[in-house]
Amino acid sequence: MAIHSGAPRRATLDDAERPKLDQLRQALAPLRDEPGTTLEALYAAQDIFSYVPPEAVTLIAKELRLPESEVFGVLTFYSMFHRKPAAAYVLRVCRDLSCHLTGAPQVLHAFNQALGARVGEVTEDGLFETESVSCLGLCDLQPALMVNLEQHGPMTADKARALLDDLRARGAR
Amino acid sequence: MSLVVTKNFGNPQSWTLDSYRAAGGYTALARVLREMTPEDVSDLIKASGLSGRGGAFFPTGLKWEFVRKDPKTPRYVVVNGDESEPGTYVNRYSLELDPHLMLEGMIIAAYACHATLGYVYIRGEYGLAHERTQAAIRDAYAAGFLGSGILGTSGFDFDITFRRGAGAYIVGEETALFNSLEGKRGNPRYKPPFPTNVGVWGLPTAINNVETLSAVPDIMRNGAEWFQDLGRGEAAGTKMYCLSGHVAEPGVHELPMGVTARELIYDYGGGVAGGRGLKGFKPGGASSAPLTPNELDAALEPKSMGALGTIMGTGGVVVFDETTDMVDVAYRDALFFEEESCGFCIPCREGAPNLVQICERILHGQGTMDDLELLEELGASMMASFCGLGQFAHQPVRGAARRFREDFVAHIEGRPIPAAAS
Repeated sequence: MAIHSGAPRRATLDDAERPKLDQLRQALAPLRDEPGTTLEALYAAQDIFSYVPPEAVTLIAKELRLPESEVFGVLTFYSMFHRKPAAAYVLRVCRDLSCHLTGAPQVLHAFNQALGARVGEVTEDGLFETESVSCLGLCDLQPALMVNLEQHGPMTADKARALLDDLRARGAR
Repeated sequence: MSLVVTKNFGNPQSWTLDSYRAAGGYTALARVLREMTPEDVSDLIKASGLSGRGGAFFPTGLKWEFVRKDPKTPRYVVVNGDESEPGTYVNRYSLELDPHLMLEGMIIAAYACHATLGYVYIRGEYGLAHERTQAAIRDAYAAGFLGSGILGTSGFDFDITFRRGAGAYIVGEETALFNSLEGKRGNPRYKPPFPTNVGVWGLPTAINNVETLSAVPDIMRNGAEWFQDLGRGEAAGTKMYCLSGHVAEPGVHELPMGVTARELIYDYGGGVAGGRGLKGFKPGGASSAPLTPNELDAALEPKSMGALGTIMGTGGVVVFDETTDMVDVAYRDALFFEEESCGFCIPCREGAPNLVQICERILHGQGTMDDLELLEELGASMMASFCGLGQFAHQPVRGAARRFREDFVAHIEGRPIPAAAS
């Protein structure tokens, strides 16, 4: 069972970010009367904050008329939701069989070495973090990865370093 | 050979409505609505032998009949696009390159089931598939293939909602997918009752794989016998197989159901990468137990794979070259299932980490022959898992320990891994 780290339940938003809760409230309006939209609501929060802060969980629960515990339960179940501020570029490196056999460990190592960060750590400039994830369904691009939802592969350590340069040139989202 | 589900992949802008219609798209739907009753449709699908391409191979026509015969309304058709089985990427191709084919099949399914509502659920990571499928749904509405009074009929209404997942293999299990659609954690539900009677929102639901629905329009056009004959022997139709691992050319191939692994790997995949020898292969994703080169001529279809003690699964064939350590392969599978177990039932939640630990002990030279016994016992207890995830999670590990026992014993005895025979 996946126990995903970094789950602060205390308030995390600073004063500059609190107004974004109004933005989230507006985004939730069309979801309020449609049943089963908890995942979409969490995506809406993540689009606004880059992650789902505890204040957003409270707001989603209120707006969708659900227990807060249920919203938190859904948040922690799905691996694509972040519970701490995410990097502009989340590098999701596949770790499963086909990618593993064809060089995924070397690709992940190249990223972490170039970034001076471990898996799940956001770089100081806020641009990058790596994730070691389950099969992405990109096995024809083995070893494969996603930059957010953008497909990349087949990768090598050299291509990994070049990709970082390319993304730096694109800058923050 | 006739292509059924990949026939449009090479067309320019194949994912657009214009391209799909230029290739004859939505004419099967029009004919069905003009000439056939819902009973005719499900009977034809039954006669064609079409069965669930997600890996369970349940007869599709029968499923639709069960849904239609349940008096509760509204009835649903749900597309399972949560493809997450390691080594599998066939639905991604269909959703990126031909979403309308799947939609036309889905609308015909709705007609056959007397269903009025539908969901298309696609795994969260398939960003391009989300874009193109959502655009296809919008365009199908605009062209009158969805909504009220489809194609000018009176009384055939069908509305689709698009939903995406957020990262969870278990949601590919159909009842877990219903929970996810309802905005909940993706835990599985009791079966029975089966989805055909108690599905999403507790209502009758036909839940079908993307590839299954994509085969429907051509079966309507060309008939049951035509589709049946596309397969080898008793197996019906075509199957999208996909290759990865130590294969020269990874890729998707639509071939007769029942093609051999030898043909797939050597004729279509260019053989083992680097011209090396073959140690083994997996016939259908992480859940399938690996096979040896002696089994290359077995047909990749459910019955013959079952006879070998493995499963056809998704058709995601993973190739292992002669240098592969099969204990490491088993370990990777165990890690995957440990990560993806939903934690809801004990045999799976506790069993999967135990599989990992046994593999780690053996890999690190701390295993004993008793560990091989323990794997068998653990596997037997994991059969008590609530859903298929836990019931299958141990199969690839036990299967590897049986068929590639020399690798396990070599680690236990501190010897190098033996080179493959072929």
